[in-house]
Amino acid sequence: MSRLLTVENVSSGYGLTPVLRGVSMHVDTGEVVAVVGANGVGKSTLLRTITGLVHPTGGDITFDGVHITGLPAHRIVSHGLAMVPEGGRLFTFMTVMENLELGAFNPTSREDTQQSLHEVMELFPILRERRAQRAGSLSGGERQMCAIARALMSRPRMLMLDEPSLGLSPVMLEKVFDLIRMVVASRDVTVLLIEQNVADALEMANRAYVIEHGVIAKTGPGAEMLHDPDIQRAYMGL
Amino acid sequence: MDILNILVVGLLLGGIYGLVSIGLNLIFGVIRIVNFAHGELVMLGMYGAYLAYATLGLDPYIAVLLVVPALFVVGIIVHRLVLQPLHAESNMQIFATFGLLIILQNAVLAITRGEGFSVPSKVAGFTFGVGDIRVTVSRLVIFLALTATAIALHLFLKRTLIGKSIRAVTQDRQAARLMGINVERTFTITFGIGSALAGLAGVLLSPIYTLSPGIGGNFILAAFAVVVLGGLGSVAGAYFGGMIVGLVEAFAGFYIDPELKQAIWFLIFLVVLIVRPTGLFGQVGAEEVGFREQN
Amino acid sequence: MNSDDLATADPSPNRPAGGILPWRRVALLYAVGLLVTLVPLLLLSRNFFWLNIITYTYLFAGLAVAWNIIAGFGGQFSLGHGVFFAIGAYTTARLFLDWEISPWLGLLPGAIACAVVGPLIFWPTFRLKGSFFAIATLAFNEVALVLANYLESVTGGPRGLQVPFRAAFKNMIFTDPRAYTVLMFVFMAIAVGISIVLMRSRLGYYLLAVREDEDAARAAGISVIQVKLRATALSAALTAIGGGLFAMYIRTIDPLTLFSLPDIGVKFALLSLIGGMGTITGPVLGAFLIIPLESYLRAVFGGSGPGVHLILLGFVMLLAALFMRRGVAGAIDSLRQHWRHRRSA
Repeated sequence: MSRLLTVENVSSGYGLTPVLRGVSMHVDTGEVVAVVGANGVGKSTLLRTITGLVHPTGGDITFDGVHITGLPAHRIVSHGLAMVPEGGRLFTFMTVMENLELGAFNPTSREDTQQSLHEVMELFPILRERRAQRAGSLSGGERQMCAIARALMSRPRMLMLDEPSLGLSPVMLEKVFDLIRMVVASRDVTVLLIEQNVADALEMANRAYVIEHGVIAKTGPGAEMLHDPDIQRAYMGL
Repeated sequence: MDILNILVVGLLLGGIYGLVSIGLNLIFGVIRIVNFAHGELVMLGMYGAYLAYATLGLDPYIAVLLVVPALFVVGIIVHRLVLQPLHAESNMQIFATFGLLIILQNAVLAITRGEGFSVPSKVAGFTFGVGDIRVTVSRLVIFLALTATAIALHLFLKRTLIGKSIRAVTQDRQAARLMGINVERTFTITFGIGSALAGLAGVLLSPIYTLSPGIGGNFILAAFAVVVLGGLGSVAGAYFGGMIVGLVEAFAGFYIDPELKQAIWFLIFLVVLIVRPTGLFGQVGAEEVGFREQN
Repeated sequence: MNSDDLATADPSPNRPAGGILPWRRVALLYAVGLLVTLVPLLLLSRNFFWLNIITYTYLFAGLAVAWNIIAGFGGQFSLGHGVFFAIGAYTTARLFLDWEISPWLGLLPGAIACAVVGPLIFWPTFRLKGSFFAIATLAFNEVALVLANYLESVTGGPRGLQVPFRAAFKNMIFTDPRAYTVLMFVFMAIAVGISIVLMRSRLGYYLLAVREDEDAARAAGISVIQVKLRATALSAALTAIGGGLFAMYIRTIDPLTLFSLPDIGVKFALLSLIGGMGTITGPVLGAFLIIPLESYLRAVFGGSGPGVHLILLGFVMLLAALFMRRGVAGAIDSLRQHWRHRRSA
């Protein structure tokens, strides 16, 4: 197991509003790491800062030995870091197939597009069925599935998911989390996910961080945090 | 018979409007910026054809091969220097492109000293008759060129990877970035393509009109009307929107009053803008241009 | 004195509701400002060439201030104010020519007409944002141009209207050109005065709120559309008055002149931009910078070839848009804030 992602004392925000105030965390290869917390504490901002959509005002981010701090988002995916944004953000006017093809757009993965398509449709057979359909016509769960598949098309070493459970029914939610587990099992991919749905996230995670007001409040193994009475009281209504 | 004649006139006119607008439509749809100097790019295409004729003796239909790539480069420069710095500020874009309009018009005016040019072409002037209707080759060429361009552009956007990346950028810039698409570069290339298309229109129009520095003004507002009517970012929209505007102008000119024809399709443009800003075919509409802040 | 000051209201009883500066201070600044703008007139009143420029400067300062009401303060970037300008010009001229109505009175019908027409035509287009609103207003300008050319019986068609030189105070036609200068000065003074009063009133406060964030304003209970329509009416009416004055000064009006975008419609916007949109003094500053500059360029370069001076003007626009987004007033503002920070630090 080696260190894949290192986030060191990162501060970030939008305009004059600071959201993250010196966050440090890391992810090792093969792990599933969850970052949980209430709405608006900075979980999304963390992911978006790592992936280059937001520029950090301070701190350092290293991925696979490369300093990616301040790189523009479109360069970062070439380093092996893919993100499934909140809600999936598929290109709704384009077909499932086109969405997947674009997933492999970046120069590093482009030549493997056909191979990746094959693998991804093997993993999610329903996408093969729906490949000519407009992405906007998919159901909620299928959309999330397609978004995850699209991210996998870039053959990432690490997959980041921004609130994968958002807007899904409990049944779909289970399915999506099962999917994530399957992806981790069958592909050599490390996962970092952020979630409001604390219980499910902690169940899945090897390790977890709790963010409160833009800083890391707690960290530890997933199972331990799941049974931590403070966390249970604060986030799981127990 | 009269009606058929008007129909043909309208369609051919629609070809002109469509060709002038197809570049603007692409730019508007993808980048969501206003370029008031688009008519001047058409004008530059026209004068480019003249230049090719005056210095190299080229027929405009051959000059296309020189002028269109040249306008592509001009577009790239304009976007990089003027529009990219102003990407989030639509008011300033209006000023900047208006300033560009004034500069280009008056630069050409100063250089040509107001002399009107025309570009002769061996083929363009021929007319032929189909039954009772007379058709000029130059206008027919434009109609065919528009059709070919529309099909080519459609295929480019639909089938090629770059085309798909342009469509992706149109829909969701952030998601596009996550795919590894360089959004800024896509904008610049798109603007280049749009300018090249304007140049194409200019070259093909040069046998028809007498060149004057202000001629861009004739087209820019028609182009806006076509774009809004057809729908932002829709190739089919530019095509059919152009036809509709051309037909309306032809029929209004005949049945109502030739002097009012411009006002009439302008009113249509306003009505469409207000009632159905998405246009006939558009995916995203005028209202989105301001409402949905993308980054 | 700018919108930033106005926006931060102090609830203490000694201060007026609308702004940080008490009325007496404002009146003082207003008077001083006007005196400053009078200086060119006093210095150059013998020189007819410069007098003409100063006259136009005052007129366009007033027009830019009028435009700024809906565009700078209201956030609705209009390229169609030429329509109001023309309506004012045609109305005043026509009433004088046909019914010998004194322009002093004749200014009003045009203003009232625009106070009605303005909101009427802008209302459906307000739902459009940014560039598309601008294009729609541009379309109004073009349609009005076509109509003006067409309705010969009303507007005199392409040749337009000529007002004969019958000098008399009641005709608003003067033998002494300085009278016109004073007239335009008064127009500017009134426009600025109205602007100040507006922005210190509740309507002005709402207008700024709407400009900043329409949804938030609506949520706070402000009727966004009413605010915009009222501001439009005021802006249009003032512009119409300016148009009427223009007609009586130049005494020959035609569609090409009135609806010309670089000279009229876009000019209002340019002056406000350069001076600083959304400020009281910005448009005036812009007028004092650009109008003389333009005349100077025309005088110097007009001979070297057609269009040369306009090329330079085009560059001014382009560079201003790229580098001077907040205008001169905005730059001065930043400096003042910088000073305040230094002082308190």
